[in-house]
Amino acid sequence: MTAPLLSVRDVSVSFGGVKVLDGINLDVKPGEIRGLIGPNGAGKTTMLNVISGIHPPHHGDVLLDGASIVGRKPSDIARLGLGRTFQTSQLFRGMTVLENLMTGLHHRTSSGLLAACFNTRRHQEEEEATKEEARQALEFIGMSAFADRPGSALSFGQQRVIEIARTLIGSPKVVLLDEPAVGLSLNRLAEFDLLLRRIRDEKGVTLILIEHVIRLVMDVCDQVTVLSSGRRIAEGSPDTVRNDAQVIEAYLGKELRARHPAS
Amino acid sequence: MTLFGRRNVLLAMFVVAAVTPFLVNDYYLFIANTILIYVLLSIGLNVLVGYTGQLAFANAAMFGIGAYTTGLLQVRLGWPFWLAFPSGAVIATAVGLAISLPALRLKGLYLAVSTLAFAQFTQWAFLNWETVTYGAGGFKTPPISFAPLPFSKEIGLYYLSLLFVVVLFVLAQNAVRSRFGRAFVAVRDSEIAAQSLGVDLLRYKALAFGISGFYAGIAGGLYSALLNFVSPEGYDLFQMVLQKSMIVVGGLGSIVGSILGAGAIVVILEALRAVKGVQEIAFGAILVGFVLFMPGGIAGFLKAKLRGWEEPLHRTQGGRPPPSTLVTPSEKSEVRS
Repeated sequence: MTAPLLSVRDVSVSFGGVKVLDGINLDVKPGEIRGLIGPNGAGKTTMLNVISGIHPPHHGDVLLDGASIVGRKPSDIARLGLGRTFQTSQLFRGMTVLENLMTGLHHRTSSGLLAACFNTRRHQEEEEATKEEARQALEFIGMSAFADRPGSALSFGQQRVIEIARTLIGSPKVVLLDEPAVGLSLNRLAEFDLLLRRIRDEKGVTLILIEHVIRLVMDVCDQVTVLSSGRRIAEGSPDTVRNDAQVIEAYLGKELRARHPAS
Repeated sequence: MTLFGRRNVLLAMFVVAAVTPFLVNDYYLFIANTILIYVLLSIGLNVLVGYTGQLAFANAAMFGIGAYTTGLLQVRLGWPFWLAFPSGAVIATAVGLAISLPALRLKGLYLAVSTLAFAQFTQWAFLNWETVTYGAGGFKTPPISFAPLPFSKEIGLYYLSLLFVVVLFVLAQNAVRSRFGRAFVAVRDSEIAAQSLGVDLLRYKALAFGISGFYAGIAGGLYSALLNFVSPEGYDLFQMVLQKSMIVVGGLGSIVGSILGAGAIVVILEALRAVKGVQEIAFGAILVGFVLFMPGGIAGFLKAKLRGWEEPLHRTQGGRPPPSTLVTPSEKSEVRS
């Protein structure tokens, strides 16, 4: 039994008396792709905000690699190896695609302000290396042709994929993806589970995936956690979850039973 | 590199600036020197507002603090200009960093109002703290001397200003195309994404405030020497409007745009002096015209029309230039939970 890479312990969050998360536990092992599903308002995005430090939990603890990260600044948590993407596009619209990716390397570069101002040789070398790494990251997602496009000139789906690459380039251990398939074209969606597996296998990144495209979750995830009204109502392999009576009632409904008849 | 590309145009402008003292009378030299000082102010302000997206209104106050510190250290303590001037820049930088501390947690209009309050407080201190600042009447500063260099005060100060413009332009240009510029723009375009990539918001906002304070402090010291006089009304709200106009007209998020905007606004104001009475109306109309028809400012216009004006960060190819409203884009990026 390997130790969990990311561990959420008894986390509760409430906004104005409403419990958005109520005593949630979650253990994600290294190399796992974990699905996080549930109806709207179940607390999925709040969960990601707690883990990434944007909303500190009112109760409970979050451990990354065995060390507590509760109360640390989001930027520090990112430096410790936790990356994330967002439900809405958060691409830097004033930058080109390549510059967006280079920003993803921010915390792994170290030139000081004076070195940058005086454009020292060491700084130039670091800039070149940063640019080269950004090009490779674009190649990984097959979007090299877009390097010099401004961020504002991309389709929503393209922006989402670039954002994933921008997070990956910083070599995170865990990446939280908040509905990454929204806005993807059908073509891209078909390749998307492949991309997620490649991220895990080639980059060695553990993934936590919030997604409403259930087919994607069922295909790609090793374990699925189901939230409803701030509580964890089920957890297990996709097959277990799919057949869980409580899950079907709370979220999946008849539609899924019809499409994925229990075998 | 095309003939009318940025590099050639900047070089030509530098040559013109370098020979200006030999070609024009004292009055035009004074105008030219004023432009150089405003270039410094707009570069600093553009780093804070155009790049980092912080809608702050304290730049005129920091300009004043630079001028007052430089002047008062000479008059009250008898320091030589060459010591008082760098001290003014240091104090203005320190004040910039200090006001960033409470300002860091505020966004958009709240930041605007709190920095405006600071600016009004500074103005109040210039006016009423008479035992130090000489109050509303202001005070004369001793004329500076460039001996043993063979320059008159006017020409010496002009070249000193030009030297600062060239050096601080190059430094700012290098800074914004590095990881620092990317961090600034990241904070402007999406705070939440910036911090999830390891960009410490407080640190980079404070840095932008410090940089704008430093540039304003240098400009203030030079301005006090140019006028040989320091008084409160030079650093009031209208001064702030002037500087904001420069970066909007020149192009938000463009260092070279700061040069063009400062030049354009000073020239426009001087040209309008002839038509007394409608000066402010005409000035307002020009501003509205820019915001409506040239939202990317002069720099955005040149980028769209001419080759060789592309800049690192927010380059726009063919499409519309980035919106240059005075509201920070970061306001749009609220977290959805």
